[in-house]
Amino acid sequence: MMRKFLFCGLLLLVFTLPALAEDTVCLQCHGGQEGRLGAPVGQWQTSIHAQNGISCHDCHGGDPSDFAMAMDPSRGFIGVPAYTEVPAFCARCHLGVAEDYAASAHGQALERGGPQCVVCHGNHAVVKASIALINEQSCSRCHSYERAAQVKQTISETEATLTQLDTKIVGLHRLGIDTQKIKGELFAGRNDFRRLFHTVNLEKMRAQTDEFGQRLGKVQAQVDSIESTLSQRKMLGGLVVLLLLVAGGVAMLIRKSYHDEE
Amino acid sequence: MNLPKIALDWLDSRLGVKELIHQNMGGYLLPRNVNLWYTMGAVLMALFGLQFLTGILLLVYYVPDTEKAFASVTAIMNEVPFGWLFRYLHVVGSNVIMIVLLLHMLSVLYMGSYKRPRELTWVSGFTLLNLGLVFCLTGYLLPWSQLSFWATTVATDAAGAIPLVGESLVAFLRGGPSVGAATLGRFFALHVMVLPLGLMGLVGFHLFCVRRAGISQPPFGKDYQPRTFGAGFEHEHHPHGVPFHPNYTIKDLGMIFFVLAFLVAITFYAPWLFIPADALEPADPFVTPEHIKPEWYFLWAYQTLKIFPSKLLGLAAQAAAMTFLALLPFIDYGPERRPAKRPLFVTCYLLGILLVVGLSVWGHYS
Repeated sequence: MMRKFLFCGLLLLVFTLPALAEDTVCLQCHGGQEGRLGAPVGQWQTSIHAQNGISCHDCHGGDPSDFAMAMDPSRGFIGVPAYTEVPAFCARCHLGVAEDYAASAHGQALERGGPQCVVCHGNHAVVKASIALINEQSCSRCHSYERAAQVKQTISETEATLTQLDTKIVGLHRLGIDTQKIKGELFAGRNDFRRLFHTVNLEKMRAQTDEFGQRLGKVQAQVDSIESTLSQRKMLGGLVVLLLLVAGGVAMLIRKSYHDEE
Repeated sequence: MNLPKIALDWLDSRLGVKELIHQNMGGYLLPRNVNLWYTMGAVLMALFGLQFLTGILLLVYYVPDTEKAFASVTAIMNEVPFGWLFRYLHVVGSNVIMIVLLLHMLSVLYMGSYKRPRELTWVSGFTLLNLGLVFCLTGYLLPWSQLSFWATTVATDAAGAIPLVGESLVAFLRGGPSVGAATLGRFFALHVMVLPLGLMGLVGFHLFCVRRAGISQPPFGKDYQPRTFGAGFEHEHHPHGVPFHPNYTIKDLGMIFFVLAFLVAITFYAPWLFIPADALEPADPFVTPEHIKPEWYFLWAYQTLKIFPSKLLGLAAQAAAMTFLALLPFIDYGPERRPAKRPLFVTCYLLGILLVVGLSVWGHYS
């Protein structure tokens, strides 16, 4: 129940507050600094977090409105987490994937130097997750690429469908279509799919890929239905335009006949 | 039994409508060489009629409340049968009206049709153009989108640059220190009641002026000679002209069909041309969009405000230009209307168009 509540909360956050983060005291102060203290600001500005209004204090805590007390632990300042604390740090928001990661071979190896979130996703310059994150250069830092390549192959079709549906839904929204419901369904589907491949369990992924295909198929059917309606509208519009042009042409011909009489 | 004939005879015996119809239709003669530009008035009447119709249909479902306005517009677009069509026709229609209004004004300017005895026709027409702009500005806010909110904030903020009364004027326009529920209430009342009433009255006066003074002779052709008018009232007759109906009304009708075809084509195939992405997000006073720009017909004014060192100077320049245009018949009062004989005017006319287009393009890309 709690997880559902948190998930709905996250959905609401993502869909109703896609805001540019305000200019907090963190940004004002660190933005003017050089080196490792200033670099995160520029990196963060290019991130998916910045696009969604997630600012410094949302992860690192503290008071973004008070210069003097901004980094005071009494105001909730956490600072930089230790290497092994990073999964719990990110899990305050990304709780679903964190759970599957923790149970995975990656998560189980954390204490022995296994990978955590920022190893694959980066930290301040984190971008929207995509299948491109699974690549030989990145995975080969820790192990051979063979199994990762199989994972990538298994999820690639579903990932491509997710990307294609996302693009189509954005296009429909641009035409004034209310896409809130299907956007929510796609978001939930993508979230669950991301959870699945954070298990890095190839057999589980192969077993559940079809299930995701069917789930996304329902979203695809809704998108297709809307696109079909839009095509019908265009046909109707074309017919009306044609009729109006013919009517205009006839009127001008009648006018010409009067002109000849004049 | 021919009911329409009986009704007409009944009315005719009491009001003499047959004579009235003859005087204003078949017996009303226009110059033989009236061109397509003379149909712009009829096209505008048809477009305004469509705006009234679609506006009333939108009014049935629209809720003028900051908490509900955006949702009601979303419902019109997605749930109300053909709601999307009414809304798009209304939005695209307002833009097409601005295009036709500008073409009408430019053609009247080029042909010098604003000159005596048509000064009042020009002034009422120019006021109608400005009323059209106010219509667009007030209608812009109603969907309560990000674009609505921020465009209105910027537009009303400009009034604050006027010395002494600026701040009070902004507060009066907004109904408070910032754009909010009071602004929506004001703009809604203006858009659906005050402005339509004003428009109807002004269109009536404009048509009255057109009919009383008579249609102007196009200043082209070998036979055209500039006319001078005496001190007294004089209707410009065209004794060898063509009847208004059906010879000219059919041309009006043809142009109305062509413009409607353009309007419907945009409505069905490219409505997004007139609906920026920010118009699809609900208003959020705490999130300023990165690149908020006014609609294309306000871009020249927007850029003017930006290039002057102060807003007051920018506003003064706009006011001076608009006042000059409004009073043009009283400044340029010579009888000559032929463009070929008015090189100074034609040069200023072309430079003026280039200036407005240039400022608009600059404003768009700045």
